[in-house]
Amino acid sequence: MSILKKLSSNKVALFGLIVLALLILVAIFGPYLYETSPWRMVNRPFMPPLENGSLMLGTDTMGRDVLAGLVYGTRISLLVGLISTMIALLIGIPLGASAGYFGGWIDEALMRFTEIFQTVPSFALAIVIVAIFEPSVYSITLAIALVSWPPVARLVRGEFMALRNQEYVLAARLNGQSDHNIILKEILPNTLSPIIVMASLMVATAILLESSLSFLGLGDPEIMSWGYMIGAARTVIRQAWWLSFFPGIAIALTVLALNLVGEGLNEALNPKLSGSRES
Amino acid sequence: MKKRLIQAVLAAAIPLASINVQAADPVYGGTMDVVVQPEPPSLMIGLYSNAPTQQVAGNIYEGLLRYDKDLNPQPLLATSWDTSEDGKTWTFHLKHGVTWHDGKPFTSADVVFSVDKFLRQTNARLRQSLQYVDSITAPDDYTVVFQLKQPFGPFIGLFETGTMPMIPKHIYEGTDYKTNPANHHPIGTGPFKFAEWKKGSYIHAVKNENYHVKGLPYLDDIYWHVIPDAASRSVAYETGKIDVLPGGSVENFDIPRLTALDNSCSTSDGWEYFSPHAWLWINNRNYPMSDKRFRQAIMYAMDRDFAKNALWNGYGKVAKGPVGSKTNFFNKDLPDYEYNPKKAKALLKEMGYDGTPVRLLPMPYGETWQRWAEAIRQNLAEVGIKTDMVSSDVAGWNQKISDWDFDLSFTYLYQYGDPALGVSRTYVSSNIAKGSPWNNAEGYSDPEVDKLFAEAATAYPDSKRQELYNEVQAKLVEDVPVAWLLELEFPTIYNCNVHNLIDSAIGVNDAFGTAWIEK
Amino acid sequence: MSIQTLFYIGGRLIKGLLVLFVIAIFNFFLIRAAPGDPAKVMAGEAGATDELFLQQLREQFGLDQPLYYQLWVYISNLVQFDMGETYRQQMPVFDLIMDRLPATLLLTGTAFVLSLVLGVLVGVIAASNHRKWIDSAISVAALVFYATPLFWLALMAVLLFSVFLGWLPAFGMETVGANFTGWDRFVDIAEHLVLPAMTLGLFFTAVYARMARTSMIETSRADFVKTAKAKGMKPSRVTFRHTLRNALLPVVTLAGLQAGQMIGGAVLTETVFAWPGIGRLMFEALFQRDYNLLLGVFFISSAMVVLFNLATDLIYCIVDPRIELAK
Repeated sequence: MSILKKLSSNKVALFGLIVLALLILVAIFGPYLYETSPWRMVNRPFMPPLENGSLMLGTDTMGRDVLAGLVYGTRISLLVGLISTMIALLIGIPLGASAGYFGGWIDEALMRFTEIFQTVPSFALAIVIVAIFEPSVYSITLAIALVSWPPVARLVRGEFMALRNQEYVLAARLNGQSDHNIILKEILPNTLSPIIVMASLMVATAILLESSLSFLGLGDPEIMSWGYMIGAARTVIRQAWWLSFFPGIAIALTVLALNLVGEGLNEALNPKLSGSRES
Repeated sequence: MKKRLIQAVLAAAIPLASINVQAADPVYGGTMDVVVQPEPPSLMIGLYSNAPTQQVAGNIYEGLLRYDKDLNPQPLLATSWDTSEDGKTWTFHLKHGVTWHDGKPFTSADVVFSVDKFLRQTNARLRQSLQYVDSITAPDDYTVVFQLKQPFGPFIGLFETGTMPMIPKHIYEGTDYKTNPANHHPIGTGPFKFAEWKKGSYIHAVKNENYHVKGLPYLDDIYWHVIPDAASRSVAYETGKIDVLPGGSVENFDIPRLTALDNSCSTSDGWEYFSPHAWLWINNRNYPMSDKRFRQAIMYAMDRDFAKNALWNGYGKVAKGPVGSKTNFFNKDLPDYEYNPKKAKALLKEMGYDGTPVRLLPMPYGETWQRWAEAIRQNLAEVGIKTDMVSSDVAGWNQKISDWDFDLSFTYLYQYGDPALGVSRTYVSSNIAKGSPWNNAEGYSDPEVDKLFAEAATAYPDSKRQELYNEVQAKLVEDVPVAWLLELEFPTIYNCNVHNLIDSAIGVNDAFGTAWIEK
Repeated sequence: MSIQTLFYIGGRLIKGLLVLFVIAIFNFFLIRAAPGDPAKVMAGEAGATDELFLQQLREQFGLDQPLYYQLWVYISNLVQFDMGETYRQQMPVFDLIMDRLPATLLLTGTAFVLSLVLGVLVGVIAASNHRKWIDSAISVAALVFYATPLFWLALMAVLLFSVFLGWLPAFGMETVGANFTGWDRFVDIAEHLVLPAMTLGLFFTAVYARMARTSMIETSRADFVKTAKAKGMKPSRVTFRHTLRNALLPVVTLAGLQAGQMIGGAVLTETVFAWPGIGRLMFEALFQRDYNLLLGVFFISSAMVVLFNLATDLIYCIVDPRIELAK
């Protein structure tokens, strides 16, 4: 509650929060309110925006409604971004925390494991994973998660390494607190702000990664996503600017909102930061 | 026999350069920049017969004959040819004074080696046709005799560069063809000589000063540029870096814009020999595709005119049946499958279609094909057929078709001017075998169709073949083993300063020997 | 350099080699799990095929052997630095990669330096003007570049600088057929480099700017910085001696990781700009199922990541001496 309060007192973060909330509303209810299938060929191809009252954003190369595509795409872009980031965090945080806190052979083993994933070029790895499992929303989400977690692990490890010798950690250890407790209650909260910043960037990266895969022809063919729309409009970018422009704006807006909220959260969560603001 | 011989001699008397009448006089010199897409795997045309290889290597290697836009044979390395009364003995008279790029003379021994040894081993498509050939002999240095087991209608259509290129015997005899180092430095008899291949960037060929057609070629050299992204290829053409965009090298959506540029010309000529024919594979083995009415319903459900206009800029022609209208022995009197969703729904109702979803596998060959799959999915949805779109890359797509692991999928294949070469392979039951995406992958099997195709291939003369092919086309159009889409046309876009770019039925796959650039 | 550091580097190198070894095996199986095989793709290119032709190809590539034997052949060759031959071009994988690698290194190196220098600079400027308009402007600009898909940006750049303005070449690495030498060649390549390096670099610039800014702001509130300020140190000195050094920590971590990753990220840039590098080579090899080539590219780029990681760790300890190496 207090976090929300702090967030809403920060105007920039509030703006991000409102945009994000709207996007989430569109993602949940949009398809019910906007019933035209995004795949239906409703009018002649390449109709510019505002030419026809019912087709505000015009039609694409096949005469499909661009606005319908945007509405349906909101859901999938957000889902791919959020779920893949969540999976990545679930893998990356525990790995990085254990490695950074315990050090020694545990660190060694976990970091070697991380290194394997990290050493293979991630975009290429994503492409291979999608190619093996065949492009679908599941394989894409999985691939994005699998290539996104190592930076989390490295970051968390780095933070833990830097913090584990801090006085308050040493004090907690002297007090006889369990490792488990120290990791979760003492160190982790102090590493949250970079993780949150990173996570907000990761959701955005995931959305961009999905569009890059689509660009290379590896999108889910059943699902209308923003990435797909840009990928499909790439070849006609000069005849029909609106086809890549609007989904591009949608992506930029989403990424922007996510980042503003992320930063707002960062400030709200980090007592040191909010404290200094008052001073 | 006499008539044929005279025709051939007459054709031989016309110099190559004057096949196309030109308003302006050709000038010598200049460099032509062409796009090649994708980068060819090799330039050894005897080992690789794919389009990008041939686009480049077609300037380096030559066949015995070329074909004009009506598919009539023209002399090239052979100056004349004649056939016996029974259609079983073919004699080719070779041109004198032809040399390989390394200076060695080209003789009948090269022809026998190329066809009987090299290509029989390496070229799967030619091998199919060579089974009709009993022997190939060289009575003297400039004569080659093909003795057939039985008349084979399309025989005279086999001699273009891509199907039957001449390979230098003195370089390849007794070696392992696939690993011969000469593969990296191809030696042919063509108007251009290989100069350099900078992998990932360009291939460079220079004028053959000793070319056997006097006065040719006009150009000093040619660069084929490798530009992997379609949009970048468009930009390269716009900025004047590229003179020629061969058909299919830019996305269809870009074509109207590029052809509207100043001094930009386009032609859809040069595909007559290939006559690329697109269709939807229908896996006949499984329900509901096993029901003829379901397959007919698909034909009625598809709005093929829309696809032609929206996806192919109006280029091409809605396919009537298995044989393209430019291919020999096309049946002109086939019934039409018009766009008629009502009829499609009625057929589905009649068969009692229960709504089982079918899988649709698009062809991973770029934007247009992906969009086409989306359009057809929508067409099918509107008559009540639900599809699940399966996505795959080229390798996966190949694999799925070869393993029959599909319900509906796309393809397009060349017809090579004759149903016996490019059509029957898709429909005869002897061609049902896992492991290849170019045979009868749909699993259609009908003894009558098998018999008609077999007879038509070896029937003599052509009027008899026409009769048999008419019959088999009518039968296939009724059965719909695959859903024919379009006869494709890939316009070649080029700078109007380039003249005489395309002068045969294989278009940019042939040599640019007669092409010249206005200064 | 102390003995300890040398031991450390040696240890890391050995570990790196082990990781590479595991990766080679991992990749080997991963790639073979993909549907379709090289023989089929090659046959597909030939336009027509039959079983005989496929069989010939498989024998030629050694694909008719059992999988464990193929792995054995691959690994034992790799140990002798032999990566085999490409299926498609039929030349040694190593030669082909070395042919393409300089182009990629030039592109990614330029983009990397550009983005790191520009990113940190911009991030520091933003942080030292925290909550002023310049901070907001930089943050917004960073976000916009961060949010824009790379390939879209690339196409827009081509549109603007090549098509409309005609200032810069749209594709390739050199003017083909010009045969420039010396200085002319340098200028020619530099001109070709501008657009791809910019588009590849802008995204990372945005990343580093954001990271540097956040990190700077946080560090400036750390106790030791406050102490320094309280002791009356000059603000600029505080920024550079204390804040920047510590704030660079996460930026260095990220940059070290991304230096290797840029090679993968170059796939898109190289595709749009027809840049003849290994990113594109890798992408093509994947779709050709050219196992040897793909494994080779993976291996070389993986080896580079290992080196970058080692470098990162070393820089880490220079920037922040509190972190001990030997542990």
